[in-house]
Amino acid sequence: MQSPAPAGGNAPKSAGGRVISGSLWLPPEGAPLHFITEYSKNDHALTRVDARVKLLVFLGILIMVLSYRGFAFPLLVTLLCLFLDIRLRIPLRAIVLRYSEPLFIAAVVLLLKFIFSGKDTLVSVQFMGLNLIGHKDGLVEGLLIGGRIIGAVSVVSVLGFTTPFNELMAGLSWFRVPRGFVEIMMFAYRSIFVLFEDAMVIYTAQKNRLGYSSVKRGLNSFGVLAGSLTLKAFENSQNTTVAMVQRGYDGTMPMLDHRPFKYSEVAVSFLFIIAAGLLWKM
Amino acid sequence: MKLQTSNFKVQRYQSLPFLYIVSCILFTASNAHAMHISEGILPFKWAGLWFIVASPFVAFGLYRLKKLSAADLSIKPLVGLMAAVVFIISCMPIPVPTAGTCSHPCGTGISGILLGPSISVLVAAAALLIQALFLSHGGLSTWGANIVSMGIVGSFTGYIIFRVLRSLKVNMAVAGFIAGLLADWATYLATSAELASGIRGDSPFLPLFYKILIAFIPTQLPLGILEGAMTAGMVVLLYKKRPDLLVKMGVIRQEEARS
Repeated sequence: MQSPAPAGGNAPKSAGGRVISGSLWLPPEGAPLHFITEYSKNDHALTRVDARVKLLVFLGILIMVLSYRGFAFPLLVTLLCLFLDIRLRIPLRAIVLRYSEPLFIAAVVLLLKFIFSGKDTLVSVQFMGLNLIGHKDGLVEGLLIGGRIIGAVSVVSVLGFTTPFNELMAGLSWFRVPRGFVEIMMFAYRSIFVLFEDAMVIYTAQKNRLGYSSVKRGLNSFGVLAGSLTLKAFENSQNTTVAMVQRGYDGTMPMLDHRPFKYSEVAVSFLFIIAAGLLWKM
Repeated sequence: MKLQTSNFKVQRYQSLPFLYIVSCILFTASNAHAMHISEGILPFKWAGLWFIVASPFVAFGLYRLKKLSAADLSIKPLVGLMAAVVFIISCMPIPVPTAGTCSHPCGTGISGILLGPSISVLVAAAALLIQALFLSHGGLSTWGANIVSMGIVGSFTGYIIFRVLRSLKVNMAVAGFIAGLLADWATYLATSAELASGIRGDSPFLPLFYKILIAFIPTQLPLGILEGAMTAGMVVLLYKKRPDLLVKMGVIRQEEARS
């Protein structure tokens, strides 16, 4: 089994052996895919909670956000999640990267709904010879969708920031997600870092040789890059299988063993869900 | 989403150029991850519906995977590595000169051609889940919808088009190009339909569907060509360097590899 390049490998370790980000607002140096660096290694009460409990709580909150008919609850969830992100010492750059795309989409949906949807005129503006009408009900609808997007992204971000991948997969396995799928996810995640480095080496070599100097050359270069990655994937899968069979692989990968549930974690999570449910109902 | 005025017809035609300009600016002003439906954008019932649609395809993919991996232990690592390739390809911003922006291909056409559409659905599902959890591309709630558009529609279109063209003795590169191109465009059609049905509210489906299609044109038309070129490049490279792999995956026959 090829070991992945350690995410955040250069980050200093605390006395307890947990990796701490180099600086509060900077991602650890040397991480090949810093945007999926495992911030879950940062020491915090939430990162220590059982992945199964977190999965249940976060999925519960996600369902509440999606089914809420208003923007107060998603807004509250977003603020809480942003607070948690800061408490988790997530670098600002990582937070911005996570939120930029959903925020952009939410803004576009809001604008399109405001101008092109609804009946009650709120504002009318002349622009480039066109009479643009902003609608009150369109604005409300856009805010609902925008709030839902940001609220849902916040919830999933905190789950991703606080849960190591292998614990998440073990949790999914415990919830009877088909083992074959969980194993594919594990193979994929471990290979991403290796293949990403290979892709960067090929891309840099192509770029240095003017491989992207014109559209035609760029298309050709990208085809070769993608083809080389596929070839590597095939070769690595063969090598990986041989190495794993030598270590006793029989077609199923071992999963992390879960420690027993902590009653305190379950109780606090239960109370949190009840409180969130009451707020959702209001 | 309705165009609301007293003289609806006039306003509709007046607003089309403006809508196109606004869409061009807004949808292409940053790296467009247009193939992924964002987290939270679909209401709960629509998100659930797409999970139900995707489930039998994923279940069949898992059944095929179990059957294949019983005979060949390298299948699961291969599928995992292909998911990593799809993940990387769909994370790689590529310049789209006509739109003056960057976008990304989806890669499920090629995985459909190489691994077969049912396994390719799993490849897409794995790549999409990792992206949703760790990059906020796509989402957990929209995972089902994204599996349907990228995994099912993209993989099956790529696979069927490639097989049909190859059975008609079309050149490998041309077949790969057309399969990749149509897989990309079919994915974008499916994504537009999912978005329109999910966010339309009480408005009619078709007008919003057309608007979303128009909004995607600046990135997706050239991107389809990019995806086609990429798929053709991949297939040709594999054919030249490792035809044995294509034979193993059932993409070409043994006799074709020798010639």
